[in-house]
Amino acid sequence: MKFFSLKIILPAVLISIIPFISTFSAFAAGHGKIVIGHSACLSGKYAKAGEQAVGGIEACVDWVNNEYGGITLGGKKVPLKYKKYDCESKKESVTSLIGRLITVDKVDVVFAPYSSGLTLRGAPIAESHQMLYMDHGGANNKIFEQGFRYAVQTIGPATSYHKGTLDMVKKIAPDAKKVALAYEDSEFATMVMEGAKNHAEKLGFEIVFERTYPKGTTDLTPLLSAMKAAKPDFVLGGGHFEDGQLFNRQMADLNINVDCLSLIAAATLPAFSDALGHMAEGVMGPSHWEYGVTYSKEAAKEKGKQWIGPSQDEFVSLFKKATGDQKMLPDYHAAEAGAQVLAYVLAVEKTGSTDSDKVRAALGDLEFMSFYGSWDIDDSGLQVGHSMVDVQWQDGKRVIVWPESAQTGKPCYPMPTFDEKKDGKKALP
Amino acid sequence: MLLEQLSGNLIQGVVLGAVYGMATMGLSLIFGVLKVVNVGHGAFVMVGAFVTLFFFSSLGLNPFIAIPAAFLVGILLGLAFYYAAIKKLLNAPELATLLATFSAGVLLEETVKMIFGSEYRGFNWDVGKVDLIVTALPMSKIFAALGSVAIALLLYVWFKRTRAGSAMRSVVEDSHGARVCGVNVDGVYAMSFALGIGLTVASGVLLTMFIPVGINPYMGGGYTLKAFVIAVLGGLSSPYGAFFGGLVFGLIENTSYTLFAFIPGVEPFSLTRFLSFLILLIILLIRPTGIIKAK
Repeated sequence: MKFFSLKIILPAVLISIIPFISTFSAFAAGHGKIVIGHSACLSGKYAKAGEQAVGGIEACVDWVNNEYGGITLGGKKVPLKYKKYDCESKKESVTSLIGRLITVDKVDVVFAPYSSGLTLRGAPIAESHQMLYMDHGGANNKIFEQGFRYAVQTIGPATSYHKGTLDMVKKIAPDAKKVALAYEDSEFATMVMEGAKNHAEKLGFEIVFERTYPKGTTDLTPLLSAMKAAKPDFVLGGGHFEDGQLFNRQMADLNINVDCLSLIAAATLPAFSDALGHMAEGVMGPSHWEYGVTYSKEAAKEKGKQWIGPSQDEFVSLFKKATGDQKMLPDYHAAEAGAQVLAYVLAVEKTGSTDSDKVRAALGDLEFMSFYGSWDIDDSGLQVGHSMVDVQWQDGKRVIVWPESAQTGKPCYPMPTFDEKKDGKKALP
Repeated sequence: MLLEQLSGNLIQGVVLGAVYGMATMGLSLIFGVLKVVNVGHGAFVMVGAFVTLFFFSSLGLNPFIAIPAAFLVGILLGLAFYYAAIKKLLNAPELATLLATFSAGVLLEETVKMIFGSEYRGFNWDVGKVDLIVTALPMSKIFAALGSVAIALLLYVWFKRTRAGSAMRSVVEDSHGARVCGVNVDGVYAMSFALGIGLTVASGVLLTMFIPVGINPYMGGGYTLKAFVIAVLGGLSSPYGAFFGGLVFGLIENTSYTLFAFIPGVEPFSLTRFLSFLILLIILLIRPTGIIKAK
């Protein structure tokens, strides 16, 4: 009887604990921890953005482990562990390191490297291992048009970059009709241009100029002269930092005055104003996050959204602790990478598992707010909940001017002419 | 409207072309005398840009003062590189000097990156502008173009009126003959290489006065490509030819954009580049030594 009971009971017990085994097996590999793997850009051409992203992730991992108490899983609080390798901003390193993170380090989730190109390069590797692949630095919509099942985006898509600027002009300057679009001929910038064009047409603006320029160009004079002849009310353009500087500088050289100039990637960086001085006054740029945004627990409550994570100031303090540099402030690269940690934590808690399929499904249903703003994805994994902010240089300082819910100051529209700026006029509302 | 744009771009093209020409003279001089193709050319231009940045941003000095300083830096770099590598490779296959100059360029880029970092930098030297109805020209660009013309003239006078210049011309014409006539050919090689690098680094100052943004250790690549087109256009071995080649290239680059803009469905900038390299190919096919003969 005793023997018969054991024969029946033992398999029954084993079968009943299988779901628990699968739940705990993943983090058992990390010695009772849930492990985030990251192919980080710590050197090479994306080293600056990579340094910020790592700082943001470490800041939020610190918050989860020490303030939040760890991830609630199976009734226990499980700490997060962060495992990173330097991919040197190289595509070939990304593929091998992601493979290593999954097969050797047995991580529970892979965070993509910075940039659309590197993110896209790593996605098939994660996909082949059926591993959740979270994208904090690849804005190109095309990543999410490939049919990847495990890719999830936190950074806003490229097509949304200039939507806020167009909405702002529509609202504060109803008489402005003519817009010029001039972007770098790169995959990312042309995607931004496509989004801007569609939104401009939707809002009823007339596109009077639409051109691209090659990457690495050193003289935009012919393009800008043609743009001047089109007499736009405002200009949207850019691509990367170097051509953004050139764009602004040569518009000043040719005395091309418009009511609003918004440049992607360049205008939100301090070095932009350092290099251009008074010429940068009044110039705008879209950003995924800026210090000073007003996302808070209270704002989340008002919108009926779940809140998680440190406040903005707590994030800044944790970031400084993580980087060991008290002078370095986090930028949007840090914020979006940090917010990705928080999204993962909520999804794991929601599904009660670290299994990639289950967490991916939970992320699909997730909506929340953190210091970074709102988070929500569509079926393809593309970020649709996060709104960008528009920053304007006013009296040598960056001011968040749009959307109204996040603004730290009113926009200056129209911005002063280049001659007025030379005479010392500031772009003040 | 078309005429206004075209004439505006013509003026911009001449001013830019003068600086492009100056930026190619060093490349042509080195090829003309030593038959060495300096594929690291752009990295030496970049050094000049950083010298300007240092003078203007760190020392608060006028970028014009950076020209002699950059020239001196270039001379020293040129002499060091010549005696460390080029001299030993002069009789080696051409690939050896190509690789050596390529390596020197990478070495310079990485060294500057270690010292200054990889960020894009710029400065704002605002000395007013001239409004010409059809376009506006900042004085900094005019100064850069005038500086280029002045340096080209000085080089011309030096070649024509000095013994060292005559020795250099004789080596270009026939190095064996020059040696037989008592010219210190090895000395001329060293001097030419140093002078060529000095001119290239100094041209970095003028290019930075023209476009004072986007200063970065890897900024030179685009200038290397353009310099090769200009050098072929003007005559591979002729520094003066390179100067006039630069003028022509600046005009092509600026005016063709306006005309290409009328072709529906194309991006004019892409066609401008296409045209530049098409011209390069045609010249190489019909006159491989370039349009202007070395003097």
